[in-house]
Formats: sequence, structure tokens, C-alpha cells
Amino acid sequence: MKMKIHNVSMTYPGGKEALKEISLNLESPCLTGLLGPNGAGKSTLMKLLTAALLPTSGAIYMDGQPIIKNIQSLKAQLGYLPQDFGLFDELTVAQFLDYMAALKGLRDHKTAVEETIQAVSLEEKKTARIGTLSGGQRQRVGIAQALLGNPPFLIFDEPTVGLDPEERIHFRNLFSKTAQNRLVLLSTHIIEDVQSVCGQIIVMNQGRILFAGPPEKLIQKASGHVGVFFEKSFAQEDGLHITARVNTSQGIRCRAVADRLPAFARPEEPTLEDAYLYLISREVAK
Amino acid sequence: MIRIFKYECRRLLWNKFFFGFFLVTLFYGWQILTNVTILGVSRTAPFSPWSFGDYLCRMIPLLWIGALFFLTFFHSARARRAAVLTNTAPAHPGKYAFARCAAAAAGTGLLMLAALAEAAVFYGGYFGWHNWKTLAQPAFISLAPPLIFALGSGWCLGKIKGWLLYIWMLVPFVCMALPLPEKLGIWNGSFFSEYPKTLGTLDPEFSLPAATAVFQGVILALGILLIVRGVAGKEQKRDR
Repeated sequence: MKMKIHNVSMTYPGGKEALKEISLNLESPCLTGLLGPNGAGKSTLMKLLTAALLPTSGAIYMDGQPIIKNIQSLKAQLGYLPQDFGLFDELTVAQFLDYMAALKGLRDHKTAVEETIQAVSLEEKKTARIGTLSGGQRQRVGIAQALLGNPPFLIFDEPTVGLDPEERIHFRNLFSKTAQNRLVLLSTHIIEDVQSVCGQIIVMNQGRILFAGPPEKLIQKASGHVGVFFEKSFAQEDGLHITARVNTSQGIRCRAVADRLPAFARPEEPTLEDAYLYLISREVAK
Repeated sequence: MIRIFKYECRRLLWNKFFFGFFLVTLFYGWQILTNVTILGVSRTAPFSPWSFGDYLCRMIPLLWIGALFFLTFFHSARARRAAVLTNTAPAHPGKYAFARCAAAAAGTGLLMLAALAEAAVFYGGYFGWHNWKTLAQPAFISLAPPLIFALGSGWCLGKIKGWLLYIWMLVPFVCMALPLPEKLGIWNGSFFSEYPKTLGTLDPEFSLPAATAVFQGVILALGILLIVRGVAGKEQKRDR
């Protein structure tokens, strides 16, 4: 599957410009991580990819065909977990998934429901009413409905919100496994989720794409711009973007990113988080 | 879509509200039957079409609320959040909406049947009377137009704003308070108690003035039209 986003802009009726002429190519198999601060335009981009919104200008193509003319075909190949969603609290987990399977028109719905329940580890809760589930369990039901029927194109908007660390690792691995033969787009604030599994990263800010490529390249961009030092006064920190502060026996150890590192900062190997923050802080400084 | 219909029926009918509302309907119906209908309206027998029609007219506000309440399952803020998931499924939006509307109609039908069955038990138990065929016409003319109109108009209003359904629930009460013209008498309950008096005979046969029949027919047609328009129209407004 190939998705091509060509010069897409999106301005909401209220006048808010959410996306500014963005172009992007996504091709399976790939797990792509979408990073960016709040209001960067990530969710708008995802809504455009699901045809829940129509772009103000530009076009999105699926396998060479504009999605606007092939909405049913897109929906037939799509699994989507939005950031904010509701479930039918009156139904049980298995009933809700069977309901979604009916909407997706899955023939072997019983097997599909069983498989997804197993994939998200909700076997014990499959006969429980959704209204009785915890936030994390509801999130897992949301992930399960997206996975139903093994769609070739999956979009997850903040999928690990509300999950405990163990569950997050489980789902990280599940997404990675899922992306072996599919196109998966994963939007998150948690860089750790992206770092370990994504083959491609897209960084967005203020409706623009700042970076699109493999994580190593993003890390390379921050090389020489990350340093550590022991805090002596707050004045030291002018012009620096502090990414971490750790209390040690020698004092407070700061990790910072900057366009030009001061002499007192010892250069360090950047992590993906440093690289992301460097990219964003540079954009903000502009 | 049959599976969707079954699940929607389950959501609508297998909950505390429905059981509670069902019991309230039966209780209220029994109160009317044993306190008002038993005396007969306009000097007609309690089991005359006039008395039966009067009973049904008194039940309409409750059935109207029930019909609209079923629609809140599809048009509440919570339902809209769930629609984010269902809208991305490839199911035909019109067929999906029709399955849901059919579930609301099934729920309304069930409440209506409860009211009719209760009257049947009352007439059979109190008077040993079982000639139901004579009551079919007043039952259809009193219940079908307002309830189908409630579903159609409610579906369209719910699509605009979910809370409008709660305001729309007040319509029968407003009608009851208004001095409506004679041809709209079914909407404020005056038709079955007042019209027989104008016929000049004791215990007159059931008949319907043309103006009332036409008005009820228009309301029925409008209800069907609104249902068709509501379920066939766009479920979700796109932001462009």
C-alpha cells in the first residue's frame, strides 16, 4: 500500500491553519512514528488520512488514486484508533468487537474477534460489559477494533495513553510485529515508544513537517548540539534548552541542547529525544 | 445489518432505563384504564373505540418520550464519540442508520404493544370483551402518525444537536395545553371525548372526520419522509 500526501493544507472553518502545504510518501511495510508538540497538526493529518476531514487544498492518494473518490475502498483497508473515542458501554467486549466486525463486513467474524481479543490480552474481560472496564482496558478495546480484520493500513493516534508500562511494551511489540507486512502510522508524545520500533519518523510543528526519515538521521542532526554540565547558577542556562535535570552526589547534572554549546558543557551522544527537542527548540527560536 | 440491528436492540432494550420505563408505562396505563376508561368517555362503553382512543391519546406523551429517548442512544455526546470509530468502517452509512432507526422503532413498537396488551387484559378481565378488530382503526390513527413522526423528526433533530431531543419530548405536553382546532384533537386528547358528542346519537359508531384523517395522514407521511431523509442524509458533517 502506498499513501501519497501532496501539497496538503487544512484550514478549519474558524480560520485555524492546521496544516501548511505538506507533502509526504508512506509505503508498506513500514511503521512510521509521528511526533510533534500539541497543536502541531498530527491529529488533523490523521483525520485527513481517514477521510474524516477533507483538505482545503492539495490531495491524498492511495495507491495512485485520490482517496476522495475512493472513500469506501480506503475504509475497507483502514484500521483507525483516534485519540478521543467512545465505546458502547452497554455491550460486552466481544459483542462490541462483533458489532465492529459487522460494520467492517468481516465474513469470519467470530475468528477475527477471538484473534483480536487475544492480541490485546483481553481474554479475561471478553464477557465483561465495556462500562465496567478501566481506562487502559478501554484503550485496548479501541486498539482491538482497529486491528479487526487485519487491515493493510493502520493509524493509531496516541495508542498507549492510559496503559501501564508493561502494557506499553506489549503494544509497542505488537505494532512492530503488525507493521512487518503493513503500513502503520503511530502518533505519540512518548518518544520511547517511537524510538524502539519505528523505521521512519515524521516530526511536525505548527502544521509543517520538520523532518521525515529514519531515526538515525534525526539523531545525526543533533550531533554536537547536546551536552551535559553541573548547574551552578540559573544564568548558565540562558540560550540552552534543558532536557533533563538529575540530582547527583556532585550536584544537579543538566542535559541540554543548543545550537552552540557553551564551553562548560561536555558534548554527549544525542538520543532521539534530544534530537527531537533540538529540532523543535530550533524551530521555536526561529 | 441484521447483526447491527440485534446489537442495537440489545443496547436499547436490555438496560435499567427500558425496564423502568416499561413498568412506568404499564402502571400509568393501568391507572388510566381503571380510573378513566372504565367509566367510558362521552357516554360510550369503556370498550368502545372512543374510550379506547381516549386511553391511547392519554398514553401518547409517554410513548413519545420513549421513542425520543431511544434516539438519544444514537445522538448523545457519548454516541458521537463512538461514531468516530463507526464512521471509519466501510459499512454503507444509510443502511447503518436505517438499522439503528429500526431498532428505535422496535423499542417504540414494544412500548406501544405493551399499552395495547394492557388494554386487552383490562377489557378481557373486567368485561370479558374480546372484539379487538373494532379497535384497530382508532389504535392505528392515534398511535402510528405521532410515533412515526416522533422517530423521524427526532432523528433529524438529534443529528443537529443531541439535546434538542429532550426539548422535543415536551411537544405532546405543549399540545395538551394548547386549544388546538378540532381536526388536531388527537394531539391534545380532545378528539375522542368531544367529537362523539357532536354526532347526536348515543354510543355512536366510530367515524373520523375527513380533516382529522387527512391531518393524521400528513403527519404519518411527514414522519416517514423525515425518517428516509434522516437515515439517507450525511451522518457526519465534514469540516469543509
